[in-house]
Amino acid sequence: MNNRLKVLRAERDWSQADLAEQLGVSRQTVNALETGRYDPSLPLAFRIARVFGHPIESIFSE
Amino acid sequence: MVTRSDTPPPLALKILGILALAGFGAATGAAVASLAASRAMAWSDEVALVMAVGLLAMAIASAVVMATRPASVPKGCGLLQIATLLLASAMFLLPIYGGQFATADVVFGAVIVLLVIQTVTNVLLWNKADEMLRRIMAETGAMAFFACQAALFVYAAAERLDLVGPVSSWGLIGITMGVYLCASCLAAARRGIH
Repeated sequence: MNNRLKVLRAERDWSQADLAEQLGVSRQTVNALETGRYDPSLPLAFRIARVFGHPIESIFSE
Repeated sequence: MVTRSDTPPPLALKILGILALAGFGAATGAAVASLAASRAMAWSDEVALVMAVGLLAMAIASAVVMATRPASVPKGCGLLQIATLLLASAMFLLPIYGGQFATADVVFGAVIVLLVIQTVTNVLLWNKADEMLRRIMAETGAMAFFACQAALFVYAAAERLDLVGPVSSWGLIGITMGVYLCASCLAAARRGIH
């Protein structure tokens, strides 16, 4: 699964630690998400969508 | 919110850190090897000693990483992970060296107390971990289970056929921990944690 997490985060000038804090996960988890090494659960995907203010399907794609 | 940029440490600092860790690892390995050779230990004790030192080294490395990373990075489960590693290390050392300082039943009691504390620490770690760390822990458990089960079956079949001698449970637990640590490193590396 692909995602636009890194682009969206860069647009807001957030660090991985900043985003991790908002999502309630570790910085390593944000890094794994951005590098495609980990696919989030549905609850985490919803949290990510809420934090960025975008629908899930505009952030994640197959 | 406050915005920050991700600034990794300088390359020179990274190289120095790797060299320091490599030197520390080599010195520790040489010390363990000379200790095992000088005392003519049983192979099961040697395996347990290597596991204990490995766990201790992982705890020290984790503590160094935690202490040197920027304050902006959340501490996460780091302290609980270090406590779990230190307790596991002590649990491997006590049965080998505890007998020199106390009677067997006292040492055994201490091992059980440490086991209870470590179990509580593990449960706390599971509860505090985020979903990716839990996934890593679950994958580690699954990989270690299947590897140990397959190896145990092969050895048990060979032992039943009188092709190999019996192995003590102390030797088996050392091997189990070794397999678990390898599985843990593999599961973590798959998620980009080194």
